Amino acid sequence: MLRFTLRRAVLMVFMLLGLLLITFTISHIAPSDPAALAAGPDANVAMIERYRVEYGLDRPLYEQFAIYLQRLLTGNWGKSIHTTRQVWDDLVSYFPNTVELVAFSILIAVALGVPLGVIAAVNQNRATDHIIRILTVSGVAMPMFWLGLMAQLYFALHLGWFPLGGRIEMMTDPPEAITHLLLVDSLLRGQFGTFAEGLHHIVLPSVALCLPALASIIRVNRAEMLETLKQDYIVNARAHGLSTFRIVALYALKNAMLPTMAMIGLRFGWMLGGTVLVETVFDWPGIGLYAVQAAISSDFEPIMGATIVLGFFFMMTNFVIDLIYGILDPRVRTQV
Amino acid sequence: MNELIKMGLAAGVMAACFVTASVPADAFERRDGEKILVSAQRQAVPTMDPSVKYDASIRTMQQAMYDGLLKYVDTPPRIVPWLAESFDVSADGLTYTFHLVKNAKFHNGDPVDAEAVRWSFERTLTLGKGPAWMLNTFLKAENIKVVDPSTVSFTLDRPFAPFTSFVPWWYIMNPKQVMANEVDGDLGQKWLVENEAGSGPFKLARVEQGTLYELSRVDDYWRGHQGKLGGIIYKLIRESSAQRAALMRGEADLVTGLSPDEFDQVAKAKGIVTSTQPALTAFGIKFNTQGKLTSDLNLRKAVAYAFDYEGLVKIYNGRAVLQTSPFTDAILGKIDVPGMPRKDMAKAKEYLAKSQHPNGGIELEYVYVQGLEEERLMGLILIDSLKDLNITVKMVPLTWANMVARGSKVETSPDMIAIFATPVSIDPDAVAIQYHPSSQGAYYGVHYLDDPELTKMIEDARFTTEWEKREPIYAAIQKRIVDLQPEIFGMMRERRIAYRDWVKGYAYSPVRMTEEVDFYPLYIE
Repeated sequence: MLRFTLRRAVLMVFMLLGLLLITFTISHIAPSDPAALAAGPDANVAMIERYRVEYGLDRPLYEQFAIYLQRLLTGNWGKSIHTTRQVWDDLVSYFPNTVELVAFSILIAVALGVPLGVIAAVNQNRATDHIIRILTVSGVAMPMFWLGLMAQLYFALHLGWFPLGGRIEMMTDPPEAITHLLLVDSLLRGQFGTFAEGLHHIVLPSVALCLPALASIIRVNRAEMLETLKQDYIVNARAHGLSTFRIVALYALKNAMLPTMAMIGLRFGWMLGGTVLVETVFDWPGIGLYAVQAAISSDFEPIMGATIVLGFFFMMTNFVIDLIYGILDPRVRTQV
Repeated sequence: MNELIKMGLAAGVMAACFVTASVPADAFERRDGEKILVSAQRQAVPTMDPSVKYDASIRTMQQAMYDGLLKYVDTPPRIVPWLAESFDVSADGLTYTFHLVKNAKFHNGDPVDAEAVRWSFERTLTLGKGPAWMLNTFLKAENIKVVDPSTVSFTLDRPFAPFTSFVPWWYIMNPKQVMANEVDGDLGQKWLVENEAGSGPFKLARVEQGTLYELSRVDDYWRGHQGKLGGIIYKLIRESSAQRAALMRGEADLVTGLSPDEFDQVAKAKGIVTSTQPALTAFGIKFNTQGKLTSDLNLRKAVAYAFDYEGLVKIYNGRAVLQTSPFTDAILGKIDVPGMPRKDMAKAKEYLAKSQHPNGGIELEYVYVQGLEEERLMGLILIDSLKDLNITVKMVPLTWANMVARGSKVETSPDMIAIFATPVSIDPDAVAIQYHPSSQGAYYGVHYLDDPELTKMIEDARFTTEWEKREPIYAAIQKRIVDLQPEIFGMMRERRIAYRDWVKGYAYSPVRMTEEVDFYPLYIE
C-alpha cells in the first residue's frame, strides 16, 4: 500500500507539470495580447510596452515558463496583470468557497442518489423506476444555468425561502479565517448564527449544481445494483430467507457501490472546475468565475494558479477514491 | 424505518427554520442605526488605485473616495469647479493655473494642498498606467509647479484645447499616506489596490473581493452631504435576472445591469423608479477601410444604405436613438450631418453598381463579442439587409480579447466589427481622434482610416484654443467622416436606470460609463 501511494504521488508531480505545460501553451496560442488588455482600451504603445516589461511578457516563451516555475517553487504564485492582485491571495479567498459548494452538492447527490438508485433497481420496470428515470434524464438534460435561474426566481424571489445569492448576508462579517472554509470557520469560532446563514445560502446553488451528478449516481447505482442482484450469492441469501432490506442494504449495496464511488470521485473533480455557471447565477465568490475571467482576459498567472489548484485537487480526489476502492474491495489491495 | 422517519422530521424542522429565517427584505439596510444604500452592479472592482486603472466599476468607487480638481455633472454634461474653486488660462493657451479651495481635507485630516495635487499628477504620469494617456503626450511632470499652498500651475508642451476635459478624471491622493505605505519603490501601488488616500465624500470601510465593497460616510466632508446616508455597499450581482430579483425584494436599492426585457418588467412594478437617459456611447459597425473588399468606398456606402437602422432600435425595445453624426448628442459642437445614410435600397444598388463587385456575390465577415445577444441580433439584421445586394455575411463571435487582438493589425482586422465606444470626455476631440491614424489598432480604430484631409483637420482643431475657431472645423470633420463611411453609423443606446423610490438625489450625466454611478448625491429618504 505504501509503495502504491508513493508511486502515485510521484506520478502526480509529473502529471501536474504536464498540465502546467499544456495550459501554458494553450493560453499563449490565443491571439490576444494580455498587456494591451491590461493597459486599457485607450492606452498608447509606450504604456502597453511598460506592462509587457513589468510582467516579463517581452521575453521568449520558454523563458517565461522557466521563470514562472522557478518563482512557483519559491512559493511566489505571481500576480494578475489585470487586477494587480496577488494570485495566491485570490486563490485562498475563492477556492475554499468552491470546495464548500461542491462538497455540499456531492453530499446531497450521494444522500439522494444512492437510495434512489437502489429503489429504482429493486422496483425495476415498475412505476417508481419510471418516475426516477424521468428525474435522471431531466437532471442530465436540463442546463444548470437555467435550473439555477428558475430555482432562484421561484424559491428566492417568489417564495422568499432562500436568499437570492451570495455567501452570507451583506451585513454579516465573515469569521476570522482558520481553514478559509466559511462553514467550518464559523463553527470553530463559535459563530453559530453565521454558520446557519452560510448553510441557508448554500442550499439553492448546491441543489442546482448537484442535479447532473445526482442523475449520474442514480443511473450508475441502479445499473450496478441490477447486476449485483442477479449474482449467485444474492440468490443464495434469498434462499436462506434473509430479509430483502438486509440483502439489498448489506450485501448488494456494498458491491454495487464500487463503480458508484468512482463516479462520485470523477464528478467531484469535474464539479470543482465546472461551477462557473452556478457561481454566476448565485454570485458565489468561487474559483470558477475567477478562472473564467482570467481566461477571458488572457491573464496568464491566475490561469496557471487556478489550473494548479484545480488539477491538484482533481488528482487528489482520484487518488483518494483509489484508496477507498482498496478498502471496499480487498482484491484491489492484493493486486497492488 | 423509524430512523428514516426521524431523519425526515429533522429535515422538515430545518426547512422550517430556513423559511422563518428568510423574511423577504422590504426596506433598506442599516448599520448602527444609519441608512446604508446598496447598489447592485455586475463588474468587480479589482483595484481602486486612481493612477493605475479606470473603468465603469473602478471609477464608481474612485469618485466616491477621491476628488478631482474639476468634476463632470448634469445632462448635457458640464464641468464644474471641485477641489479647484477656479482656474485661469494664460494668453498663449499653455499655462493653466488652478486655485484650490481652502477647506478640503483628506480622510486622515491632512489638508489638500497644491503639493498633493502636483504629486498626484506626477505619480500618474510616472507610473504611465490608467489615465496617463490623456495627458502624457503634452504634459511633463516637471512642468507642474506649486505656486503657493493653494495654487498649482500646469504648463503644457503645446496648446491643447481638450486639457480641462480630462482633468476631472485625475484624482488627488494624499502623498504622505501613500508614501508611508510604499513597498520597493512602487509608489504605493500595492497598498492602493484595497486602500484609499482620498478626500472624497466616502471612505473605504470593507472589501470582500468577489462579493462586495463597503463605503462609509465622511462626516466632515469639506463639501458636506445632502442626506444622512451612513454608507454605501457596492454589491456584485452579475446576472440581470438576479439584479431584478434583488431590486424587487429590496435587497438592492439601485441596479445598473438590467437587460432591456428585465428593465421593462421592473418599470411596471410598484415602488421602483425607472428612467432612460441618453448616453455618450455610440454603437457602430466598423469597416476595415484597408481590407481586401471593404477598402472600396462604394461597397461601404452600398452596405450602409442597405442596412436596416430601425431594426437596431427595435433590439433595444425602442430605447435607442439613431446617430445623426459620428459624434453622439452630448459632444460639444455636434451637428446633424446632412445625408446621413438610412435604409434606401435604390441608393444601395446604385453604389453597389459603381463598386468592384457590381453584382455582389461576395461574403463579408462580421465579428462581434461572443455572448452579447444584442450584437448577435445586429448580425442577423446585417444578413437580412444585405441579402438583396447578393452579399452574404459570415458571423464570427469572438471573446473581447480575441476580437481586440484581430482588430489590432490591419491584415487581420475583419471586414466588419461591432463596436460600442464611449468617449472619455465631451470635448469633440475625444471622438474625432478615433478617426486619426494614431488610433489605428485600438478597438475604436479598427477602421484603419487614413485620410490626409481629415487628419489635418483633427490636428488643427485639437491644437487651437478658441472655441469659435474650433467649432467650424469640427462641423467639417463630422461631414468628412460621414463621406468616408468608415462604419455603419449606428445608434446611441439609452441607459437604463432603476432604483427603489426611497432613493433620492440620483444625478445622471452621460459622460459617465454605462454602469458607472456617482454615489455622492445619493441619499435615502
